[in-house]
Amino acid sequence: MHVHELNPKKTLWVLILFLIVIIIGFFTMKRPLLKYQLSLKQSTKILKDTSNNYFYPYQLANVLDHKNKNVVIIDLRNKYAYGLGHIPGAKSIPSFNLTQKGNVKLLKSYKKNGITVVLYADNQLDADGPWLFFRQVGFCNIKILLGGYDYYEAHKNNLAQTKTDGSYLKGIPRFNYAKVACSKTVTAASKKAKKPVVFHRRKKVAVAAGGC
Amino acid sequence: MNRNYYFLTAIMFVLALGTLFISERVVSPQISPDELLWDVLQPTRFVTTDQIAKRLIEKDPSLLLVDVRPAAEYNKFTLPNAVNVPLDSLITPAGQEYFGNPGTKVVLFSNDAILANQAWVLLRRMAFKDNYVMKGGLNGWIKTIIQPERPPQTAPETAFERYDFRKAARLYFTGAGVVNSGKSSSKTKVVFKRRKKAAVAAGGC
Repeated sequence: MHVHELNPKKTLWVLILFLIVIIIGFFTMKRPLLKYQLSLKQSTKILKDTSNNYFYPYQLANVLDHKNKNVVIIDLRNKYAYGLGHIPGAKSIPSFNLTQKGNVKLLKSYKKNGITVVLYADNQLDADGPWLFFRQVGFCNIKILLGGYDYYEAHKNNLAQTKTDGSYLKGIPRFNYAKVACSKTVTAASKKAKKPVVFHRRKKVAVAAGGC
Repeated sequence: MNRNYYFLTAIMFVLALGTLFISERVVSPQISPDELLWDVLQPTRFVTTDQIAKRLIEKDPSLLLVDVRPAAEYNKFTLPNAVNVPLDSLITPAGQEYFGNPGTKVVLFSNDAILANQAWVLLRRMAFKDNYVMKGGLNGWIKTIIQPERPPQTAPETAFERYDFRKAARLYFTGAGVVNSGKSSSKTKVVFKRRKKAAVAAGGC
């Protein structure tokens, strides 16, 4: 026979107290703001099927003309770069502030309302990390602006015509590597049709010119 | 014997049976999303083609180059001693053997830095450390090491030093045709032209 069994009322109180502590703990537990929604396998899949990943510079033309209102553009560069120049209508959220509570809430509301979010930085590479991060935590409405701000800045007057321009596309080999960078073929390139070598002896002057 | 003991034994037995059904799935460790974003925003993972070229020439044993392009592209051309780990095999145990080994620094590369960077993000999520990304990728490799551009006259001296290094590295990586030139099959024809004798006897002793 244990001691607490002598006083069932006391046992009950301790039990209730114990439950209360657990319940309070459960509600005040700090939940992470973001969780991975895609498994690693799904992540590699979206990287291969790129149809839903990119926002092309020529698509910007419609957004800037206010024809396409379902798009929000977010500038990931720092405030200083944003101040020097940015895409009209772009919202500035420096990438280090992305996971602040207010910003995550904002992004969640965009997702809820079916608004496409386009991230950009100076170039595609700078925005690539944050973009892939947000895709993994479940924001399937987030796209990345190809070419980044640099390309926009260079082509802002003829965005619609950049449809045929492929210079901003990444991940494509721009050289025939095997031809350019391997030792054998370099010799082939330098081996162009060789000219026969012709020796010309100088002509002697016509008249006998001396002797001993 | 107390009836309770039978009861407890029964519970233990049922729980023990339950262990038979535990799957062998090993959950790989992952870092938290916040930590991942923080690491993603650090530019420290990028290395330049010059640094890689230097390490390759020095035959640095701690360097491991990993080509993340598809196998077909890898078979056509890759950097010296690079191994191929396409995106698919990155998440398999066989592909992960290359990563996280103490004392090795893994440098990922692709055509540009984009695919390599994405592979880096996935690896970081799987808590692998000491991985780097070659900035510019193979396109950058060709542009800087294989076909270096001469800096303008007004460039600082360091730019010229870098240019000299790149020219030397180019010779190192391509051989620059020195090896094969001797074997060239079409030999150059040498044509001798004899001088014409002058019409008149031109003297002599």
